[in-house]
Amino acid sequence: MTTEVLLFIIVGGIAVAAAVMMLLSENAVHSALFLVINFACVAFLYIMLDAPFLAMIQIAVYAGAIMVLFLFVIMLLGAEKLQAPTRQFRWLAPLALALAGGFLLVTGLAITSGQISLTGPVTRAPMLRVVHAAPFAGTVDVYANGQPFAMGVSFGQATTFTSVPAGDYTVELRPEGSSTAALTTTITLPGDNSRAANTFTAIAYGGDASTAPQINLITDNQETVPARTTRITLFNAYTEAVNLVDFGSEGDPSDDRVVVNALQPGTLVELPPVSEDTSVQSWAFTPAAGGAAIFRMNNEEIYSVERETAQLLLLASESTFDDTVRPVALPLVTDAVSSFGGPHAIGELLFTRFMLPFQLIAVLLLAAMIGAIVLTHKEDFRPRRRDVRRRVMKPLAQAISDQVGQDVLRPDAEAPRLPEKQPEPAGD
Amino acid sequence: MVQTEAFIMLSAVLFILGAMGVLLRRNAILLFMSVELMLNASNLALVAFARHWNQMDGHLFVFFVIAVAAAEVAVGLALIVAIFRTKQSINIDELHQMEG
Repeated sequence: MTTEVLLFIIVGGIAVAAAVMMLLSENAVHSALFLVINFACVAFLYIMLDAPFLAMIQIAVYAGAIMVLFLFVIMLLGAEKLQAPTRQFRWLAPLALALAGGFLLVTGLAITSGQISLTGPVTRAPMLRVVHAAPFAGTVDVYANGQPFAMGVSFGQATTFTSVPAGDYTVELRPEGSSTAALTTTITLPGDNSRAANTFTAIAYGGDASTAPQINLITDNQETVPARTTRITLFNAYTEAVNLVDFGSEGDPSDDRVVVNALQPGTLVELPPVSEDTSVQSWAFTPAAGGAAIFRMNNEEIYSVERETAQLLLLASESTFDDTVRPVALPLVTDAVSSFGGPHAIGELLFTRFMLPFQLIAVLLLAAMIGAIVLTHKEDFRPRRRDVRRRVMKPLAQAISDQVGQDVLRPDAEAPRLPEKQPEPAGD
Repeated sequence: MVQTEAFIMLSAVLFILGAMGVLLRRNAILLFMSVELMLNASNLALVAFARHWNQMDGHLFVFFVIAVAAAEVAVGLALIVAIFRTKQSINIDELHQMEG
């Protein structure tokens, strides 16, 4: 039994025990505190389930804010203990137990004998992009299994990452607008059952005016990088093996440092994490066979270290006007993929696909706030005595005063009396 | 790695405990706390399935459930306070007015 399973059993046991104690304790304050324990255990389980952000929310919102509100109301009402419960539904308790037992039985059966395989996580569809680094191919359209994948990709460009089902793909590069393939190759995209990003880059490189370029499929490492660093992956799409050398300060041979030694054409190497204040302006490529630098990365606008990115640096051949090639380093900077369950990933989803529900929840919370205020607002509906007198309209009061011969609006006035009835005039 | 089944089973047990709390307890505040327990159990299932299917959507649903629970608690406790003010009791057996 692994440590994780042991932890699950312990924490899950505490959670269930706390829930049972919550139900059984007579004092409502104790119940609330047991519920806090239960919530803390569930937060721990969230961490085990790769949901650190939700664990944080669980502690802060549930165990913190909501339970404090509960405790506050219990204390405010003095409702810790209910006076002598009046049992009116005696048949409810056994019925509830029977229902609970039945539900547990059905759930257990459904889980243990269900058709869904819950024992292993499912695989994740891979993401693919195509990078054009072939100097003589011109602008191309990319087709995968005969379907258009990307149109009009020119030298040095990369398509965006596209999610495709795992499997074999026949990738064709066709000159733009043409229907005949300049190059056809087969790549295999495997599925992946880890929660890391599963991304691939197909690099078309090499070739000359007469021979077609070739395609290499590499696995990109897009996982989260350590804070304030960037991950630089170097791919050699040039014609010969190269060294990557950090020359340090200009004209000082003593601080030269070889970063990568003898990188063969068509191979890939991942550098150790580079911190954001590193300057790559002093870096240069030299032939592995020896000799002067063939390419210097001294253009600040192109070569820089951006934090929290995964950078693929391609050393490619670039065709010049007279159809010779010269080396050029192509940086392809992508944001590192947010880690599963982290605040970054939640935020990305929340502000893209879940924007509307997010807004609705915000409106709901606003409505709840207003509702709580309206419900607890103490409104005095009894009309005050002074208003009764005021409410008699002036002209009407005047008319009554004229009738009874005294002012009825004065507070100390006697109760109005009708004048003595006049005797009827004698009739004929 | 703990199997998803184990988490779903734990979630079912917690849900049932919450449901029993709703059925058996008579204190309105405890009733509310049992409802919170049930919501929590469903959240646990959502997070477990999110890990199982490698999809973050489950996490977002949990986020929304927590927000709805906060709204529900605010209004529910306000109701309880209002009821307590008029009836001087939060025993739900003493609150039914509309019986025939």
